[in-house]
Amino acid sequence: MSQQSLNAPGGEEPEQTGPETTTGGQTFASAQGAGDILDEIDEVLESNAETFVRSFVQKGGE
Amino acid sequence: MKRRVGGLETEFGLVCVRADGSRALEPEAAARELFRPVVAMGRSSNVFLRNAARLYLDVGSHPEYATAECDDWWELVAQDLAGERVLGDLVTQANERLAAEGQDARIHLLKNNVDSAGNAFGSHENYLVDRRGEFTRLPRFLLPFLVTRQIVTGAGGVVRDDDTGGGDAGRFVFSRRSDHMWEAVSSATTRTRPIINTRDEPHGDPSRFRRLHVIVGDSTMSEVSTHLRFATTDLVLRLIESGRTLPDLALADDIAAIRTVARDLTGMAPLPLEAGGTTTALEVQQRWLDLAATVAEGPAELAALQDWQRALDAVRTGDRSWAATHLDWAIKERLLGQVAGRRGITLGDPAIERLDLAYHDIDETQSVFRALQRRGLAPREVTAERIEHARTVAPATTRAHLRGAVVTAAQEHGVDHVVDWTTMRLGRPGAMPVQVMDPFATESAEVDALLAQIREAGEPAAPPPA
Repeated sequence: MSQQSLNAPGGEEPEQTGPETTTGGQTFASAQGAGDILDEIDEVLESNAETFVRSFVQKGGE
Repeated sequence: MKRRVGGLETEFGLVCVRADGSRALEPEAAARELFRPVVAMGRSSNVFLRNAARLYLDVGSHPEYATAECDDWWELVAQDLAGERVLGDLVTQANERLAAEGQDARIHLLKNNVDSAGNAFGSHENYLVDRRGEFTRLPRFLLPFLVTRQIVTGAGGVVRDDDTGGGDAGRFVFSRRSDHMWEAVSSATTRTRPIINTRDEPHGDPSRFRRLHVIVGDSTMSEVSTHLRFATTDLVLRLIESGRTLPDLALADDIAAIRTVARDLTGMAPLPLEAGGTTTALEVQQRWLDLAATVAEGPAELAALQDWQRALDAVRTGDRSWAATHLDWAIKERLLGQVAGRRGITLGDPAIERLDLAYHDIDETQSVFRALQRRGLAPREVTAERIEHARTVAPATTRAHLRGAVVTAAQEHGVDHVVDWTTMRLGRPGAMPVQVMDPFATESAEVDALLAQIREAGEPAAPPPA
């Protein structure tokens, strides 16, 4: 995900979301919004996920 | 306490990678790059901002932002988000500098609590409590609440339990933080991390105040989750402080229980009680919620009770329709499950861990949480205007107001100054410090005199930096 952008077209305005389509745990409130974001996530997860995760090692804090 | 001061300290994870995901800069170098504008302005990587918050580099090169004192939990959420935006801007500027230098390097700042090797960093809540009050009996009542609170305010995540099933396939938990907790109450933070830290730094008059330092929480992206952490804990503290008879839900083993609760998405796993018998996470939370309803006042607290009940109902019934767009753990449960299903992978796959990190990325262009928020799939309770305001204006109803006024005046007039939570002075040698030991103070003749000195010593006010 390092160089891609998750910016939604149209900036900050939330998309119109429909009413709840399900009460189960498997479907987003907005099927369209969910489809969009899953497509974007697919794109950004295609490459380098494992390498990125391995790169994130830092001394502990607190 | 009827009115309570609280604050939130957030440590951020830092990674700087090339386009192929490999490490471009070590964390120390990335932190230096990130803090370049801070050091240029404050001559230090440890500064107080105009909003009276503290911004600094902590152990392990973790950027840390500590909100100023708040006595309203939505204000606290706004102040916390303001810190996210301040650091987000530093990330953007650093990445622009790196790109301008032609470096294949991008900094990511992650508002989460663990790196890929299992090193932990914190999200520490502070609550002002009365020194004379109930500190000795406080943990006995507070711990069962804190152990089970994760079913409401956990950030969610995936663990790999080789012994108890899951293994490489991974299993979803309310909070990964439970695996980094080693004792109930102690003064440690880095070695044997406790749920309640007893380091006695009141940042106020020690004869009147004590600071309760709760370090069991996850960093939360959802504004509703962050608000509930403070609103519910405040109500529970008020009940304990009231001195009334309370249910004794002391657990036989807090640490065993916290790990059980994290892994039990039904909220019904038996938790052995110290006095014998068992309880469940849902029962502990519901009992505190019902008691809290007897002391809650005002629209914000009543709304918080409603959210708290919705959260418990989501666990009890399995109906996630509200939770999956409001609470971090439920948003993430749904998102990770959908992505894993779509890609035909398990929750233990590195792609899911990458997605979890992206959820907590604070760069607006990289953050999966912000992308969900733009689509109405995560809550937005605090307006962009309020967050922007909180970047430069301190909470008006606590001591933060005085500190913010001093930092703002000193910056506008270009005057060296030294500030911490209780003390403020001019930077020149021999300058007399002004101490404000009451966290509720919003007026002080001494601070007014210091402000006058700053105006005299400094240049005419320059417009604030853009």
